[in-house]
Amino acid sequence: MKRILNATWRDMVLTNFAAIVAGIVLSGALLLFLGIDPIFVFSTSIRAILTDGYTAADILLKATPLIMTALAFAFTYKANLFNIGAQGQFYMGAIAAIWLSLELQNRIPTALLLLIVLIGALAAGALIGGLIGFLKARFDSNEFLVSMMSSYVVLALMNYLLRTFLKETKGEYPQTDPIARSAWLPNLIKGTRLHYGFIISVLFAVLIWVLLYKTTLGFRIRAVGQNSRASALSGISPTKIYVIAFLISGALAGVAGFTEMNGVQHMLIQDFNPEMGAAGLGIAILANANPIGIIFASILYGALNVIGTQMGRIPGANVPSSIVSLMQGFVMLFVIMAYYARTKIASRREKNKRKREAALS
Amino acid sequence: MIINLLSRAITMSTPLFFGSVSEVVAERSGVMVTAIEGIFLLGAWGGFVGTYLWGNAIFGLLLAMICGIAVAAIYGVVTIFMKQHQVVTGTALNILAIGFCAFFQRVLFGIPQIPLQIQPLSVIPIPILSEIPVLGELFFNKNILTYVAYVIIPIIHYMLYHTSLGLAIRSSGENPQAADVAGINVNRLRFLTVLFAGMMGGIAGAFYSVGFLGMFTTNMIGGRGWIAFAICFLGNWQITGAVIGTFVFGLAEALAIYMQSIGGGGFFPNELFIAFPYILTIVLTVMRRNFSVPANLGIPYIKEG
Repeated sequence: MKRILNATWRDMVLTNFAAIVAGIVLSGALLLFLGIDPIFVFSTSIRAILTDGYTAADILLKATPLIMTALAFAFTYKANLFNIGAQGQFYMGAIAAIWLSLELQNRIPTALLLLIVLIGALAAGALIGGLIGFLKARFDSNEFLVSMMSSYVVLALMNYLLRTFLKETKGEYPQTDPIARSAWLPNLIKGTRLHYGFIISVLFAVLIWVLLYKTTLGFRIRAVGQNSRASALSGISPTKIYVIAFLISGALAGVAGFTEMNGVQHMLIQDFNPEMGAAGLGIAILANANPIGIIFASILYGALNVIGTQMGRIPGANVPSSIVSLMQGFVMLFVIMAYYARTKIASRREKNKRKREAALS
Repeated sequence: MIINLLSRAITMSTPLFFGSVSEVVAERSGVMVTAIEGIFLLGAWGGFVGTYLWGNAIFGLLLAMICGIAVAAIYGVVTIFMKQHQVVTGTALNILAIGFCAFFQRVLFGIPQIPLQIQPLSVIPIPILSEIPVLGELFFNKNILTYVAYVIIPIIHYMLYHTSLGLAIRSSGENPQAADVAGINVNRLRFLTVLFAGMMGGIAGAFYSVGFLGMFTTNMIGGRGWIAFAICFLGNWQITGAVIGTFVFGLAEALAIYMQSIGGGGFFPNELFIAFPYILTIVLTVMRRNFSVPANLGIPYIKEG
């Protein structure tokens, strides 16, 4: 038994590793179309990451919001629900964070402000998520479609607010005023951009792991995910679980808005971070929806992102920024294929075992 | 003004017709084509590239179809033959499509000083028919893609409900085991319907670049693929339902464009009209009951033994 378990672990690590490498190599090979030497740009940017602490810290910086949106997807996924609208919930959290920060800054102490803003962003995300869950529970409406469409509605709302109530005082661009330094999330490592948001994200990941695997609520959520009819018969109300799962999922994505606003951007700009929701989904799949795995998968995505940006900075190389979504897309696709490879390997192992047993008897 | 609005609604419906009707065919065979947004985008890109490089929209449309089929083929292999999750695979391909288009746009055209333009498909008034008052303007004063839609939709309807091929498709989605026993190669049939959806989705995407705007940007689809996907649900997996749904959305989009052009009447913000089709989808999804979902939609078929 233990040997089989070890073997599946080894399969998982090996196949996923192969998938990641294949995704990176293929995107790198495409650079040849632009007459760029992929080995040169990859090694230059990786050297920059290894030698420069600022750049290395950027990996964790980029991973911070991704952990949250990936958790958002993974949490509903455990209940066999699809929250494809993390992007909208993330934007909603960002709107709440920037608005609260602008209102409260320089009036109350930083620690209190950050706490209020965190709760505000969390609540804003939970509002959207909860609404989707409510529509699912009350009207049995397809949560996949509703959550998908909700992102576009929130995007329009954000653009509206940036044009009107939240527009900068200069009134020139559709963006907010920058928030005061006292409302920033404090730095985690001096001389880098990395902020306490990373710690917050990791704590949330651990919290969600505990919630899912060590509490009755988590057990119920997973039970509904495995078989909603059976769990209804055993006294768990699936509709209640739908609402709770989506509330929490939305809240998690909302927190990403807080870490990005108060930690990185310090202002709300039109169309910022448009891939946050989709990347979160990819990470959740890569980590098999395991909250702890999500931390590491997010760091991997953060690294791909920083490698891509570093390549773009190499003078004269002209690496386009689209290399990041190419790498992420290919890695995601190959990771999905790795799932297939694992089932094949496992079934072959099973067959061999049976053959051996037959030969022995 | 109303005629103008309705006429524009039919124009804006055209790509959604292609997208939603072919989605219905694929879903009736048991596969949700969640890569539809990426298929639309690659179609838009292929259409633009073909037209720009060879100076003829025919080549653009051909390349758009090839691009759509290519995305659909990857999607089909992973979801049907490798039996992986359809929503997840679709999301991966949609991200990849954005990166792919942006990257190869750069490979082909570098960083142009001024945005590249192509001549949008011209309107071809049909002789005599376009002279009919009201109806002529509404139906017979369009570009070629709209006419293709007129012809192809009844054919697909006939195929799906009145031929043995249609029966095979529908039974693959309802009861693949029985279809298999009856000698239908379920997975191959599903794969073919997905390729078909890829071809049609490619044309749909090309409508936005070649047929309408005469340019390409990576955000030009902006969820239209997902709306076609939603229409398939809302139309209850029926061709007629999809056609009605498409027209409703075309009207919503035409109304949105019109209201933006007159500045929202000064009272409503433009963003409300931009969001209108998406809000409409949510409202209709919530209101719609008693779906008859194909029984094996989204479930890979694994042959026993």
